[in-house]
Amino acid sequence: MPIVSRPDFLPGLPKWSRKTLFALALFGICFAFAFPVLWLILTSLRPESGVYYVHRGTEFTLASFAEVLTDDRIVSAFLNSALISTLATIFSLLVTVSSGYMLSRFTGPASRIWFGTIYVFRCIPYISWVLPLYFVTQSWGLYDTYTGLLLPHVAVHICFFSWLMKGFFDGIDPSMEYAAMIDGCTRWGAFIRVAIPSALPAISALAVLCWLFTWNEFLFALILTGNRVPMITVVMAQFVTEMGLRWNLMAATAVMALVPAFLVALFGQKYVIRGLRI
Amino acid sequence: MAAISLSKLNKHYGSLFHAVKDVDLEIADKEFVALVGPSGCGKSTTLRMIAGLEDITSGDIRIGNRVVNDLPPRDRDIAMVFQNYALYQHMSVYDNLAFGLRNKKTSEAEIKAAIDRAAGMLGLHELLARKPKQLSGGQQQRVALGRCIVRNPEVFLFDEPLSNLDAKLRAQMRIEIKRLHAAIPTTSVFVTHDQVEAMTLGDRVVIMRDGRVQQVGTPLQVYGKPANKFVAGFIGAPAMNFVNVTVRSDGVATTVEADGLKLTVSGADARALAAYHGKPVIMGARPEHLALGEGAPGASFDAHVEVVEQLGSEILLETKVGSHGITVARVPAETVIARGDRVRVSAQPGRLHFFDPETELPITG
Ligand SMILES: Nc1ncnc2c1ncn2[C@@H]1O[C@H](COP(=O)(O)OP(=O)(O)OP(=O)(O)O)[C@@H](O)[C@H]1O
Ligand SMILES: [Mg+2]
Repeated sequence: MPIVSRPDFLPGLPKWSRKTLFALALFGICFAFAFPVLWLILTSLRPESGVYYVHRGTEFTLASFAEVLTDDRIVSAFLNSALISTLATIFSLLVTVSSGYMLSRFTGPASRIWFGTIYVFRCIPYISWVLPLYFVTQSWGLYDTYTGLLLPHVAVHICFFSWLMKGFFDGIDPSMEYAAMIDGCTRWGAFIRVAIPSALPAISALAVLCWLFTWNEFLFALILTGNRVPMITVVMAQFVTEMGLRWNLMAATAVMALVPAFLVALFGQKYVIRGLRI
Repeated sequence: MAAISLSKLNKHYGSLFHAVKDVDLEIADKEFVALVGPSGCGKSTTLRMIAGLEDITSGDIRIGNRVVNDLPPRDRDIAMVFQNYALYQHMSVYDNLAFGLRNKKTSEAEIKAAIDRAAGMLGLHELLARKPKQLSGGQQQRVALGRCIVRNPEVFLFDEPLSNLDAKLRAQMRIEIKRLHAAIPTTSVFVTHDQVEAMTLGDRVVIMRDGRVQQVGTPLQVYGKPANKFVAGFIGAPAMNFVNVTVRSDGVATTVEADGLKLTVSGADARALAAYHGKPVIMGARPEHLALGEGAPGASFDAHVEVVEQLGSEILLETKVGSHGITVARVPAETVIARGDRVRVSAQPGRLHFFDPETELPITG
């Protein structure tokens, strides 16, 4: 049923005016979200001299994109971000799916201890992980390496998303797995062959969330990497230099960073919605 | 050959909850046993222990001549039908049926033959290519049955397989299961909370309450000779009427009396009640063993009609006798009767039940 026709939305007004008001409200909200993005795109298309007067000039150029795309550091930052996001997603899914399953189906001490552990870690503010992680990666020689960034990301995913996965599995009736165990599967086999396939929409949703989380992440990337492993979010911030602000380049990079995120979100949307429903 | 034997079977959940208590049960090869009882009495837990889905706290389970206590479900050679069908949602009906056989590394040709046979028995041929989501509840349950029979196991276990179906379909599936058991005689344990299902399907019926077995017997035995007041009230629909009465004897006849009610009991009952003169007992009278009209001398009483339930084939009467509610069944449908009428009700002599108010055990000679 469309939300528009819910009776409690401004009762007393005629139907057409209710609809109009509702549409206006929707439009307003969408605009509030879309406006910064539109502004960003506009900025990226303006020549350097026009960035402070984005709304006035009529001169447009792709020069900023060309400049950004020929900058090795930015290109490699893109590749790094894509690689780390993808690897982090794969590794964390491997753990998160089984850990969410365990939390959902088993109630023994092991499960409770694990539950407590990720609960505690989840309660620690995100920002207070960074400094200890910096020292640890330094002393293990992992600072500014793929591994040094990957491991903390996977850890964060596990703490944040195991819960989500537990929720998904709670929504799946376990008797299907019992049937599989009677039909000749081991407990583990029932998980792999029956539980995972039925949770696939949820797992896809989770993959999208994981990927976007790492792609957009700034804090870890800033502190745990230097010049060898530039990440796109960090590189973007570095257009703020002593020589001044390169708004147009920053905007062009940001627009390009939006594209994969947008695609992943667009492609994944149906899974996210379906996944969140089961 | 697969008899099932449960001995001193116990299940504790945590340290506090004792779900199944000292269950002893012998199920013969090819026998169909129905396990019935109110919600929460431990039927499913017992069944799941037989299946190996639940650990046993103590006791032994044998299937055939093996003690299976520590065998995982896949090694017990059983098949199970679940209340919510538990079909593999991501597989077609064909793959659902084939799943167990493929796990046993059966050749695809043999699998196809087995599925063909099962599909023929259950009318599944048109459904084989579909996914479970595209089936109605009844069709899903037939697929679940099919998934069991293709494997040709030693034992079938059913956990309330019909309770998600509507009344008409439930009656159909009941017949289908009965037919299936006749065609492929296999040891079966059928859990249900519906005593009609238990009575119609079971060669023998096991009645449980609070984790304990109350009685094991053929449908006729548990109906006719209930082991205690609980079984008497649980088996039979509408449920047995219970009235607290006092036993009196004038040396010639023995009567039981409550307010508004005085019945002379049969000779056998009189002998059984000899030790209870002047004492209270619980009288049980099945609604179908009461009738309108004057019966044998001393076997009738006056009742006040409170509710008339016209079923088309018969009338059910809810009446008041003194302060007791009494249900009368099998009143001919054409009887002209209305709320507020006073009627004469007679009990069939010799079909009354008497229970000790303390032990709730039947009082027999
Ligand atoms: N995993 C569990 N942990 C704790 N208690 C449980 C668990 N499973 C079942 N119980 C309890 O054990 C008792 C028996 O449960 P069981 O499922 O065997 O009942 P049932 O006879 O099948 O009832 P129903 O007709 O409602 O299915 C219930 O009181 C239930 O609350
Ligand atoms: Mg149950």
